[in-house]
This record gives sequence, C-alpha cells and structure tokens, in this order.
Amino acid sequence: MIGIVSYGAYVPKYRIKTEEIARVWKKDPAEIRNSLGIVEKAVASWDEDAVTLGLEAAIRCLGTRFRPDNIGAILVGSETHPYAVNPTSTIIGEFLGIGHHYFAADLEFACKAGTAAIELIAGLIKSGQVNYGLAVGTDVAQSRPHDVLEYTSGAGAAAFLLGNSSQEIIAELVAFTSYSSDTPDFWRRDGIRFPSHSGRFSGEPAYFTHVLGAANLLFKKTKTKPADFDYCVFHMPNGKFPVAVASRLGFTKEQFLPSFVAPQIGNPYSASTLIGLASVLKQAKPDQKIFMVSYGSGAGSDAFIWKTTKHIEKYRKHESNQLLSQKEYIDYPRYLKQTKTI
Amino acid sequence: MKVAVLGAATTQFGELWDISPRALVREAVSEALLASNLRITDIDALYVGNMLSGILGGQENLGAFFAEELGFAGPAFKIEGACASGGLAFYNGAVAVRSGMFERVLVVGVEKMTDHKPEDVALGLMGAGSDVERQAGITFPGLYAILARAHMEKYGTTEEELAAVAVKNHFHAVLNSKAHFNNLITIAKVLASPKIADPLKLLDCSPISDGAAAAVIVSEAVAQKGQTPVWLIGAGVASDSLGLAGRKEITSLSAAKRAAKLAYKAARVGPRDIEVAEVHDCFTIAELIALEDLGFYEPGKAGKALLREELTLGKAQHLVVNPSGGLKACGHPVGATGVKQVVEIVSQLRGTSGKRQVEKTRIGLTHNVGGSGAVAAVHIFQGKAGSGKGKG
Amino acid sequence: MNSPVKIWRNQKKIKELLGKEGVIISWTQVRVPLAGFEEQAPYYVVLVRLADRNYLGQLVDVTGIVATGQKVKAVIRRLRRPEAEDVIPYGIKFVLLA
Repeated sequence: MIGIVSYGAYVPKYRIKTEEIARVWKKDPAEIRNSLGIVEKAVASWDEDAVTLGLEAAIRCLGTRFRPDNIGAILVGSETHPYAVNPTSTIIGEFLGIGHHYFAADLEFACKAGTAAIELIAGLIKSGQVNYGLAVGTDVAQSRPHDVLEYTSGAGAAAFLLGNSSQEIIAELVAFTSYSSDTPDFWRRDGIRFPSHSGRFSGEPAYFTHVLGAANLLFKKTKTKPADFDYCVFHMPNGKFPVAVASRLGFTKEQFLPSFVAPQIGNPYSASTLIGLASVLKQAKPDQKIFMVSYGSGAGSDAFIWKTTKHIEKYRKHESNQLLSQKEYIDYPRYLKQTKTI
Repeated sequence: MKVAVLGAATTQFGELWDISPRALVREAVSEALLASNLRITDIDALYVGNMLSGILGGQENLGAFFAEELGFAGPAFKIEGACASGGLAFYNGAVAVRSGMFERVLVVGVEKMTDHKPEDVALGLMGAGSDVERQAGITFPGLYAILARAHMEKYGTTEEELAAVAVKNHFHAVLNSKAHFNNLITIAKVLASPKIADPLKLLDCSPISDGAAAAVIVSEAVAQKGQTPVWLIGAGVASDSLGLAGRKEITSLSAAKRAAKLAYKAARVGPRDIEVAEVHDCFTIAELIALEDLGFYEPGKAGKALLREELTLGKAQHLVVNPSGGLKACGHPVGATGVKQVVEIVSQLRGTSGKRQVEKTRIGLTHNVGGSGAVAAVHIFQGKAGSGKGKG
Repeated sequence: MNSPVKIWRNQKKIKELLGKEGVIISWTQVRVPLAGFEEQAPYYVVLVRLADRNYLGQLVDVTGIVATGQKVKAVIRRLRRPEAEDVIPYGIKFVLLA
C-alpha cells in the first residue's frame, strides 16, 4: 500500500482583491471578477519565497508526530525556485533536519511540478527504495503588471508525506496516470522574470485537452466513472476552467466545491491542485474516493485516484493545519512592493 | 604610581570637509604637545583610538600611519573598541605609564566620518554590534531605542525626560567654540523631530562628525616638573555581551556599572564626590542610563532630575554633566570622543574652561561606552579646585 | 558578495531556533533603515525572551500593534535582498502568535 501519511499547506495571509487591481488599470472590476472567477488572491510577504513557503508547508506536514530523519526522499516542484542551479529541496531538507541519508531533486513543469513529485515518490516507495518521501509544491507566482495573469498569480505551498505503512496511511494512492505533449501555452525563458502565454490558446488545446485527456485515460485504466467518486480536484488556473472541466467530465457541484479554493487565493501554481486536495482531506470521511487531475503548461496532466482510510478521522484530531486562517488586505502599491516589482 | 595628564587639546568637531585625518591629528597633537612643553621626540609611545578607518576607508595599521605623520618612530598602537576606542586608547596609555614601561605617552583619538555616505557610516557603526543584529537590519538608534523602551516601560521614563538631555547638552555646546552644534533647542523641538527608531527621534541622536583629540599622559616624576598636572586617580574598564540579546538587564549597562565601580574603588571616591562628568550620550537615553549606572541617581530617577535641570551649568547644585555639549551637541567623531572627554575634564579641573567653567571642581569623571554597552571605560581625575590659572 | 561559507556554518544555529516560541521584552520600529534594508523599511525589530536565551530579530507580517509581552514564534525568511551573485541569506525572523 502507498499513500498519504500526512500533509500540510501554507498560504500567506495577505490578499489583494481583483477589484483593487482592476481599479488601477481602469478596468471594470465586476467584469474581470466574472470572467476569471477570482475574488482575491494570496500575496507573499517581501521576505518569503518558494523555499520559505515550502518549508512552512513541510513543517505543518510533519508536525510533531513524524520524524524528519525517516524521510528517504524529498522532491520539490516549483516554477519559482529561487536558484536556477542550487536545489530548493536540500535547503528545505536541511532546515527540516532530514539528515543526510536522503535523495533530493527539484522539479519543474509549470503548475504540475508538485504532482509530478508525488508520482516519482510513489515510484521510489513502490520499488522499496524509500519508506517515506516528501512531495512539495510551492510557488510565489510572478506576473507582469497589467497582464491578465496579474489577477490570478498567487502564492502558496503544500507538502505531502507519502509512506507505505497501512497503519499510518490516511489516503491510499489507488492509481495514477499522465497525459503529456509539447504545447506552448505558457512559458518563461531562463533569466526572464515574467512568464508569457498565448492567450486563448491556453484554453481548449492546452488545459482542457490535457486534463480531459488524463482524466479519461484514468477512468479507462481503472474502469471507473465520475459517479464512483466523492470528490474531484482539478488544477485551478482561474475560477472558470476547473468548473467547466468538472462539468464536462460529468462531476457534480457537490463533488467539486470542497476543493475549489481558487476564488479566495488565486492560483499558487505548483501548489494549486495540492492545496485543493488538502482542502478535501480536511473534511473527507473514511473510505471516500477522490479524483484529482493537475495541469502544467508546456503541457501535461497527472491524474490520481485517492481513497481515504479509517485513519483519517484520528489524523484530523491531531493536526492543527489551519488551511486559510486570518487574512489581511493590501493595496496595489503595497502589492508591487511585496512582489518586488518596485 | 600616580599618573597625570599634562597637555590636552581637541580640534573643531563637525563636518570638516576640507580637513583630512592627518591634518586633524597634527593639529590636536601639536597643541597638546605645546601645552605639555614637550616635543614629539620626547614621547615614548603613541596610542591611537579609532573605529572606522578600516571599514570606511580601507586603511588599517593606524599606529604606523600616524607615527609617520607625526614623525615618530617608537611603539605606536591602534586601539579599537567601537565608540569607546578613545577611552580605551587613553586607558592603555595610562596603564603603560603606570606600569613604569613608559614615562610620556601620547594618546590621540580621531575619526573622519563625513567622507562617506551616511548609510555606509551607519552600516560601519554596526560593526560594533553582533552578526545577528546586523542580519536583523537594526541600526544603532534602533538598539538604543530598544533600551529606551525597556527603561520607559519599567520606570515610566518619558520622551520629554529623554529630550531634556539633548536640550541641556545643546545649551552647554553654545559655550563651546569647538562643538559641532551651537544652537539652542527645546524639548518641543526634540519631540517634533523626525522619528528614527521608535521612540528615538533625530534630535535624540548624536551626529556624524569629524574631529580629533589628543592628551599627553606622564609619570609622576615627569608631572612634578612642570605645569599643573591633572591626576588620574582611578580607572576601570569592563566588558559585556556584544549584542543586546546577551545582556542580563536591558535598563542599564552592566559594563558601565562595573567599570565605574573599579574606578571609584581605585580612586577611593564615590558618586557624590564627582563634580563634573563627561558621559557617553550617543543617544539621549544613553546619558539617562549613564547617570544611573554611575550612581548619580537611583535607577528610574535620573529622568526627573534632567527635567529639573539639576545637571545643567548655572543651575546645578552639585554636578554638571557634559559641559562640552556631550556627544549630542559637541559631536561624536567616534574614536575621538573618549579622548575629548578627557580633554574637557582636564580643562575643567584646571579652571581653563572659560565660559563653560564649572565652579570649584576638584574631581571629574569620564564615561565612554562601546557599542550598545559591550565595553565601557570610566576614568576619574583630580585637580586643584577652580584655580583659574595653569597653562592648558 | 556575501560569504557562502559563513551562511553554511550558521545553518545549525538557525535550525535550532526555527519554530521556537517566545515573548517580546522590548521592541522598536526602525524607520531609517540599515544599508541593504531599504525595501523592508519601516520594520520592527524585537528583543525576544525564548526558553533558554534572548534573541534579537525582525518582527514581520505585523497586523495591529506591537507591544512588550506579546507572544511570537521564530520562522525562516529571506534576511535581505541578495545581490546578483550572492547566496540567498535565509535566517530567523519572528511573527506574532495570534
């Protein structure tokens, strides 16, 4: 058995409202909010980055119950690794106190780098190479002022500790599969600060093709259909795409809404799907099935089926993960300062 | 063996754009030597107090640097202890004479701060603090602001009481032609000045200044031969943690208390015997705390005394503090300050302080602190009461 | 360029403090920043009593007032904006405990 043993998420407390950004560029706030489905997004502090966010999520994941030095592998996925060369994973590993007997690597695949980490760690555990592996998705997303991404690019991190002990697993990894292609919908060149995208091309040929592609592959592989699941989680680049893809696949609002965090935090890129999963795990009962599909531009989707175990109730009693606690609103000049744009 | 100061002099303190460190030292030294009736060839050793020449100007090896400048080829040392560099240089010179190693020692304190941007100077000054303090981005005003807040919360000290220090010292500085500032200020003006690090404001802080000061220390045998010597009757130096986080208390400076205790004991006097004192008011709170550390007031009581102007020239009954204008108004060329304090006390005890002469002074004290209290040097001097005569 | 070796050598000290809780025993708000800290100004610096020692560091993400006696927790943040060639300096800062 392989599955989630513990998890943690961290979203910075600062928020900027869609209407505040729209006000600056003299756009109609209601129109933007309706077309993107985002009310406000999370903004990291000036002194936070993908390393510090990932560390906060990992600390919450391990809590006081899980020993860092048992971790055999740590993989960190991000689009905003602070270094082009120097691993985020070992900086986090060092501060966690993992020791030295571990494998570490940084991953990049736009917004699906975090779920890529889960697939790889599952492989390491299955092969018997490690007993525990930590998968982290973390980003302090960047966007060019006035670009449409400015309303959605958020900040956040989530960490999942995977293991092989049926006594500990709270959500079993039942199956997974992936759908990949070479599709230039969103990219960032080395040394360039802000990402670029190809407008409406990021819709049907990119997000929808890959999410639907991976979902259907997984339904076929496992001989399942939407009605077999209690929850669904999709990557949330905005507040519209995941709603549409859930509907097109045949999921209901009830299955979808518990994971739908984007309207309140925006898109924390590599942490988006994972924070959606964390949101579901906060309320899921034992023996419930979760269908999860991420999306990373460039492009690819990782699809997973999770099944909660009886241990999830006891786990929730101990954990003090406050997913989205207090928030503080900031204005646009402060947003520019905190994102180091000015 | 007793030790005495003969000649002692300072340069102008202030923003001295066209005066180099060499020129500053030459000026102070030549005046001090002249007043001592000595030549550089009579000097046995040279002690230089300075903090920032390396950090700001890339120049180390100041013993050799100024030895060359002064035409001196004997033993020359740079002594550094942040803002106590001058006091420590004087202490080391005195110890050397007292030990019998040398008979005539020249001590000079010098600092050239206006050649550089204020931000670079502030960063250089933080060399006096700890690595953790530098990483936190705290400045010197910030460190003393933390001490101020602790003192205010424990004793009810007010911002007005702090401001009274600056008002007094500016009042004194008007009478000191060598002082950096010569304007009167009011408590209201201090309170209205821009905030630097809460609760300290611009006028709570000493300025960035250039200047030098020199003093000649001689053995008892040499002292008996000439002008009115001023005797060093006690001295003490003590250390504490580099950073504030290592202190046991943050409403007083333990190093200053212990240095003072050593000095009082050696001099066989107590706080009540001190009639004039130059204390280290790098920030207004520093003088307030100094008055308590030196035993002039009980902890928590100095503020009220300052508001009552008990230590101001002309109003004081018993003790005048910082007749030179202190660091705040006379200026604070870091390495020079400790020596300038000696120059002032020596002049007061000789009766040569002119308009700012404190009447009938026999015993004076200097108090020089490095960093936020990591090191303190206290010296106690004795002269003849208000003789009104004596050359330098 | 900062010293990567010093940063590396100090990691142990940072690890020991991470997550520790304490109480503010004094504080200030620095309005005229130290060189290199301009973008962070104004910032709070607190002197904190931890279980076994005192520690001085920045207090970040402050909402509301800062006062002696408030409880804080040590977190890891970037200490300064690094220069182009610098190793990024991570270190201990404090946040208020709700």
